[in-house]
Amino acid sequence: MSHRRRVVITGMGVITPLGHNVSELYASQCEGLSGVGPIRSFDAKTFPTQFAAEVKNFELGKHLRNADRWKASGVNTRFALAAAKQALADAELLEPIGDRTDIGVYLGSGEGSHEFFGLTECMARAAIQDGFKIDQSVFFQYGKTLFDAGHEHEMEMHTTAGHLADAFDLQGPNFTCLTACAASSQAIGEATEMIRHGDAEMMLSGGAHSMIHPLGVTGFNLLTALSTRNDAPTKASRPFDLSRDGFVLGEGAGMVVLEELEHARRRRAPIYAEVTGYGSTADAFRVTDSHSEGRGAIACIANALKDAGTRPEDIGYINAHGTSTQVNDRVESIAIKKVFGEHAYRTPISSTKSMLGHLIAAAGVVEMIISVMAMRRGVLPPTMNYETPDPDCDLDYIPNMAREKKINHFLSNSFGFGGQNISLVVSRHND
Amino acid sequence: MESKARRAVLTGVGLVSPIGGDLPTFWRAFIEGRSGVKAIRNVNVSQCAVTVGAEIPDFDPKKYLVTKPQQRALKMMARTVQLGVSAAQKASEDAAMPVGHLDPFRFGISFGAGMIATELEDLSRAAKISTNCAPGSVNLGTWGSTGLKEINPLWMLKYLPNMPACHISIFQDAQGPNNTITESEAASTLAMGEAFRIMGRGLADYILVGGCESKMNPFSLARHPLFQTLSKRKDFPEKALRPFDRDRDGTVLGEGGAVVALEELEHAQKRGAKIYAEVVGFAGGFDKGRTGAVLAKVIRRAMNEAGATPDQIDHVNAHGTGVPELDVWEAKAIHEVFGSQRPHVPVLACKGHLGNLGAASGIMELIVSAESLHHGCLPGSLNHDNPDPACPIHVHTGEPRPVVKPFAVKISYTDMGQCAVVVLRRWE
Repeated sequence: MSHRRRVVITGMGVITPLGHNVSELYASQCEGLSGVGPIRSFDAKTFPTQFAAEVKNFELGKHLRNADRWKASGVNTRFALAAAKQALADAELLEPIGDRTDIGVYLGSGEGSHEFFGLTECMARAAIQDGFKIDQSVFFQYGKTLFDAGHEHEMEMHTTAGHLADAFDLQGPNFTCLTACAASSQAIGEATEMIRHGDAEMMLSGGAHSMIHPLGVTGFNLLTALSTRNDAPTKASRPFDLSRDGFVLGEGAGMVVLEELEHARRRRAPIYAEVTGYGSTADAFRVTDSHSEGRGAIACIANALKDAGTRPEDIGYINAHGTSTQVNDRVESIAIKKVFGEHAYRTPISSTKSMLGHLIAAAGVVEMIISVMAMRRGVLPPTMNYETPDPDCDLDYIPNMAREKKINHFLSNSFGFGGQNISLVVSRHND
Repeated sequence: MESKARRAVLTGVGLVSPIGGDLPTFWRAFIEGRSGVKAIRNVNVSQCAVTVGAEIPDFDPKKYLVTKPQQRALKMMARTVQLGVSAAQKASEDAAMPVGHLDPFRFGISFGAGMIATELEDLSRAAKISTNCAPGSVNLGTWGSTGLKEINPLWMLKYLPNMPACHISIFQDAQGPNNTITESEAASTLAMGEAFRIMGRGLADYILVGGCESKMNPFSLARHPLFQTLSKRKDFPEKALRPFDRDRDGTVLGEGGAVVALEELEHAQKRGAKIYAEVVGFAGGFDKGRTGAVLAKVIRRAMNEAGATPDQIDHVNAHGTGVPELDVWEAKAIHEVFGSQRPHVPVLACKGHLGNLGAASGIMELIVSAESLHHGCLPGSLNHDNPDPACPIHVHTGEPRPVVKPFAVKISYTDMGQCAVVVLRRWE
């Protein structure tokens, strides 16, 4: 363990509902701003949930030349490209240095969105048999005109990571995972391990996702996972609050450059922080619910701390998964108490989903980036909309106002639909 | 330095494939040269650009998943997921891990999956209600207010790519590291690479590694011809997918699920597990421009980790899609690494038998090399009748030949240039 290669963060970039760069985003978090509003990208007036945290006024052309090159790509890929450009520029890696097979890509990244209107019309025209059964030959006939070749290729799940590798000449190991809400944290954890092992010297890692489209909102509404507080969208995401009623969809991308420490030192790269701990478990319980006593979360938090060699009392801040669902927030609080014991009550915790919404696959990386900034600037983001405490959630959630505090280590949790649990410990780097 | 390097072996195999739903049938089809590519029957493709595929005509998941909770869970699974979960069940039975023998936290799952297409009937009622079939007349307002009610509440859960790994973890009580790699045709080989790493650093003693895919449905068959080079052959479907052959014209879609049990060596030996082969190397990369340079580097990197030199490689198990320019790219890389070897290093290309099984292909085809090393016998590849000078490699065809060297190299890639290599060593 003493000879383990160390991994630091040397670049960061984001495209989010509250800022198209890291400074803007972090400032918005400290001010308690909300990125939530009525959905504008499609007419959601009759949906059970009519609001989300959308990225506003994003133009890829403002971030990259020849943006037309990716015009067939989904927003997820376009967000990813912009965030990646920022992170790589930040890390001073846009110009080639050394062997480009030493830099890989590991994303926790979602698919693009189906062309809803084309697909729906195609199905409707083909649903001519009894009981709305599809006449397949009719479906194929209409499909020929209603589906677009470029768009369909860009729906394939390898394309975001492929575009990043191609655009920025990153020839190292290339992975994409999609463990729902845990995905980009898992990507960062696994990418960290790849560098530790020597599979790469640097990894561009993070994720991008947008499910703010008709089928995305449909899917989550059917599961009753989303808040339906349509009369007060900015108050809907209220993690740990007694009257929380589900999460709020967000969208966006976050990218970090992870780098082996000596490699970073040799090229005098700016070092933000060190990724010191990674824990990964599965609930193996139910498809729709987390384990009621948080056994998977408890183990993954404990594993991350052990990996980092930090004790609970060393953790200055916990960026919670904190989705604002009844189940997650309760179980996460239980898990934190189980692992931290009495220190749980002395450790400030917040959920930035209260402001940003839930970026699904991209949540983990964006939340980690906010937390890195919190550690650098000494101001922890609040949990907004915290009005009525829940007796089952009795910890310090930094309610409603950012808090000055110097921290040396933070814990970031991401617990995905399907039971994958990921925790990361990130530590101050003093050089 | 780690105290002692942990080694990883394959102790169980399970698969559901177009050429057989059990390993002996599957292997026999390879030895006897049978292809699973046929005229598509389960979908009415009379108006489809694609008419041939590698279907599993009689897949019944209830034959694999027999307990009541498992069969209830099947209703919540797309066909793709059912294929993956069924294969995992078989692999698990094959590995015969005694109940209670494993610490659940040291039991992981590493899966490869792709985009899982929705069954149209799940949405067709809602679609019909929301349109009146004049062009461009989908009414989103009607969809939201009325259409939504016509859709099963659990609809989304049927199709999430991490659901195979989720269901398997529940059935098996696997609480350790759990990931789903979604990198299309490279997915399950990358999943093996990651599992190999996780085991190597001591976080798991047993990992089910697999992949699943089904493109044999209207939505996938409508989309894929638009962006993928699919063979246009209609006569003799079994000859359509022709890896590295002069007359190749594209790949052929299919379906399947394949899972292997990866186990820490000492753990396997202590319980007297049967061992198919050892996993000894992994590397990945992105071959920008598909020049072959990076793929060659990735092959070498994986071999270095395995401690294998080119003269010790028994065969290269290529991705071999039958897409004209992609075969050229892969052959260039293989030639770069092995071209100067004498005797020539034979290439195995499985897709002539199997079709292109997408996210399942990596593990499904890795199993062929594992069996090959285990039985000491390399099958001939199908449909490689006339070598293409643009692909300067030596595909073994015809009768099986003996395995003569200890290592096998497995390559997988995506059309964009992402690539992954795993190296196996024969277990004596």
